[in-house]
Amino acid sequence: MKFALRELLYGKKKYILIELLLVLLMFMVLFLCGLVEGLGRAVTSAIDNRVADYYILSDSAEKLITVSELPDGIINEVREKTNSEVTTLDIQRMYLQKQGEERKLNVIYFAIDANSFLAPSVIEGKTLEYSDKDNPIVLDDDFMAEDIHVGDIIIDSASGFEFNVVGFAKDEMYGHVSVGFITRDSYTQIRTRLNPQYGTTIHALAFKGKPDDLDMDGKELVKKQDIIDNIPSYRAEHLTITMIIYVLVIVSAIVIGVFYYIMTIQKRRQFGVMKAVGFGMGKLSAIVVSEVSLLSVFAAVVANIFTFAMSAVIPQKMPFHLLPADAVSVSAGFVLISIVSSLISIIHISRVDPIQAIGGNDE
Amino acid sequence: MSDILLQLNNVTKSFADGNGTQTVLDDISLAVKAGEFVAIVGPSGSGKSTLLSIAGLLLSPDSGDVIIGGNTMLNSKSNIRTAFRRKHIGFIFQTHQLLPYLKTKDQLLLFQDKEYNDSVTANDLLEDLGILECANKYPANMSGGERQRVAIARAFINDPDIILADEPTASLDATRGRYVVELIRNQTKKRGKAALMVTHDERVLDLTDRVLHLTDGKLRSM
Repeated sequence: MKFALRELLYGKKKYILIELLLVLLMFMVLFLCGLVEGLGRAVTSAIDNRVADYYILSDSAEKLITVSELPDGIINEVREKTNSEVTTLDIQRMYLQKQGEERKLNVIYFAIDANSFLAPSVIEGKTLEYSDKDNPIVLDDDFMAEDIHVGDIIIDSASGFEFNVVGFAKDEMYGHVSVGFITRDSYTQIRTRLNPQYGTTIHALAFKGKPDDLDMDGKELVKKQDIIDNIPSYRAEHLTITMIIYVLVIVSAIVIGVFYYIMTIQKRRQFGVMKAVGFGMGKLSAIVVSEVSLLSVFAAVVANIFTFAMSAVIPQKMPFHLLPADAVSVSAGFVLISIVSSLISIIHISRVDPIQAIGGNDE
Repeated sequence: MSDILLQLNNVTKSFADGNGTQTVLDDISLAVKAGEFVAIVGPSGSGKSTLLSIAGLLLSPDSGDVIIGGNTMLNSKSNIRTAFRRKHIGFIFQTHQLLPYLKTKDQLLLFQDKEYNDSVTANDLLEDLGILECANKYPANMSGGERQRVAIARAFINDPDIILADEPTASLDATRGRYVVELIRNQTKKRGKAALMVTHDERVLDLTDRVLHLTDGKLRSM
């Protein structure tokens, strides 16, 4: 470590240039990482934010809540049999209009029981439970950017049903569409207006904790993560971009390995002399590994600082959401692969013959 | 002092050379005592560097023994020989071969094997060699003579048995070259080492105790 620190400090100018390149590469990787998570959140956050651990869907639904169909009475049947908290959830895509405006806005209704554990907390206004308005709706905060405010009246385009905006919740999206939380009562009224034959069915039951001893005939118990993975397009998008990220991590780590290797080749004679005067491969490898670790750890730390600083100032609409856990795993992967890529330098040094320290063109 | 610290017995070495083999060292024997400073001269390509490499355990002879401070190390593994070189052999090269990123005192302190030896201090050596004021300088900020003197200090820092010098004056002018060889001689005497120097520079031969001539693979006294 003493050798490594002194060598890096002595060659500051050279190493700062390399660091600059590594910081930029790592910054790009971390930024992409935040975008992946942000885009992923645009698909899943409304499910992700719910505290439910398990859902019951009809078994023909392929784990997709929107196509599941359960009989209305099931909630009471289930309540008798389990101690877990249970409630209903319906998800329906529709359009909204602000009163007096033509423009239609995409919305996904989450129809819930206002005082259940599925109800979202709000960053502005009131929750469904504590609102004293009729037909309340709590909207995702992206609607704020559409000039909608607490107290406004908005209209369901298809049925003409009127909602009172009572509050806004942070980051509630499903399949790239912003969510509006409404009561089961409002939901049933909308459905009945659109289709007078609407027989009350529900999409899914949500549980806190794992329910036990249920008759699962025609039904399927699905974990929260499985629900998320089966939201259309989520998995394909997520896998593709995650793969790009890991390719970039490997590329950046190899860049450091290759740069270091080139410098090692230039220092061939120096290593020959070190071997001649009695530095073993253990010592020389330790120097190489310390130098590469210092370079990569420093680059990772600086890139993290940049990325988190930037995430604090980018606009609300930009889907950027960097989890510290992801940043740590990407950075650790980068450092580890860098150290592995320094092996080519170590192998090169191990092949340097100390005899080249002696004699010029004598032999 | 008559202890023999460096001994070469019947050393032979040949290299493949086009359509045959060329015998560079032919049954060479040599003994250097503690406190003795021996020079080897000879024309280019006569095998002086090969001889020094074999004495320094950097190259194995085809046959014969190398005994340093009573140890025969030729058959050891390369990592054991490397560790042995650090403790028992001090090298001085044609050019200083200092690490560019270390200050003088670090050249010595980071190379010193403190578990093995702490009787020689970096300060004493720098003082003896007249370069105490260079302790905090990088090689790039020193003159050629000063660098070579730091290299001498490095050769002595682990209190080795033998000193091997490979054309130590090659990169210096006559005055400085002579001064550097004087310093090697003084330290060799003061610290009781066996020193072997390969050189072209006939002007410094009067500083050595013995001069050996290497021609046609044979070593002759002059």
